[in-house]
Amino acid sequence: MARLLSNIILKGIGGYPVANSARIISGSSYQNGMKYFSTVPNDPDTHEDFRPSSKLESHSLSLKDIVEQDVKDNPVMIYMKGVPDFPQCGFSSLAVRVLRHYNVPISARNILEDPEIKNAVKGFSSWPTFPQIFIKGEFIGGSDIILTMHQNGELKEKLKDIASSVEKSE
Amino acid sequence: MTSRGANALLSRAIRMETKLKSVLEASVLEIEDVSHQHAGHAAVKGSEGETHFNVRIVSPNFDGQNLVKRHRMVYDALADELQSGLHALSIVAKTPQEVAQNK
Repeated sequence: MARLLSNIILKGIGGYPVANSARIISGSSYQNGMKYFSTVPNDPDTHEDFRPSSKLESHSLSLKDIVEQDVKDNPVMIYMKGVPDFPQCGFSSLAVRVLRHYNVPISARNILEDPEIKNAVKGFSSWPTFPQIFIKGEFIGGSDIILTMHQNGELKEKLKDIASSVEKSE
Repeated sequence: MTSRGANALLSRAIRMETKLKSVLEASVLEIEDVSHQHAGHAAVKGSEGETHFNVRIVSPNFDGQNLVKRHRMVYDALADELQSGLHALSIVAKTPQEVAQNK
C-alpha cells in the first residue's frame, strides 16, 4: 500500500520544483469544464506538467467527483478560506502555517470563491467547518487537529513519505 | 425541541452549553465567544456576531474516540447552531483520564 501510494505521489507530483510553495486549484465554470490554475510564486519553472493530473477536463464530473479527484491526486489538500499566501481566516492561516513546517507540496482550494465546492466538501467529509485537510486521501480534520498532530508528532509521521518522495524526485 | 423564538432569546453560548452538557455529559465545559477576533472576516459579513467560539470540553464519552470523532461528536451536538450562523469552533476535547494524567 505504501509503495502504491508513493508511486502515485511520484507520478502525480514528479519533479514538483518548490516543495514549500502551494498550488492553488480553482475551478469557476463546471459546465465548461474545470479550469485549473497552479501558481508557484517566484518560480520560473512552473510548467503545466506540475498541475494536478486529474481528469477535470471531462464534462461529466459532479462536484463530489471533483473533491474525490482533488484528495486522490494531491497528497496534501487543503480547502480553506483564502489562499495559502493570503488566508482570510485565522484558522485557515494556522493550518497553512503548520503544514509549511514540513517539506511537502500543498494544494489548496479557496472555498470563499467557490460556494459549490464548499458545500460539496462539507458533504464529502461530513464536517461543517473550514479549513479541512486531507492527507493522501484521508480526511484529517481542521486546524485544531492539525495543530495537535503537529505537536504530538503524528503529522510528521503522516507526511514523512511525501516529503521524502519530493526530495528524491528533485 | 423548543421553538426558535424562545431559543433566540438566549445567547448562542448558553444554548451551546446546554446542548453539550446534555448530549456529551460534559464534566468540564468552557465556552468563549471569540467572534470579535473574526469581525470583518470574509465569511462573517452580514451576520451579527456569535460566529466563532473556543470550546474546551471534558467528557467520558470521548474515551476510545480519536480527535476526528470527538470533534464530530461536538459538531453533531451543535448541528442546529451550525445551521444558524455558527461558523467555526476551536475545540479542545479530552477525557477525564487525559486531564488527570496531564496534571
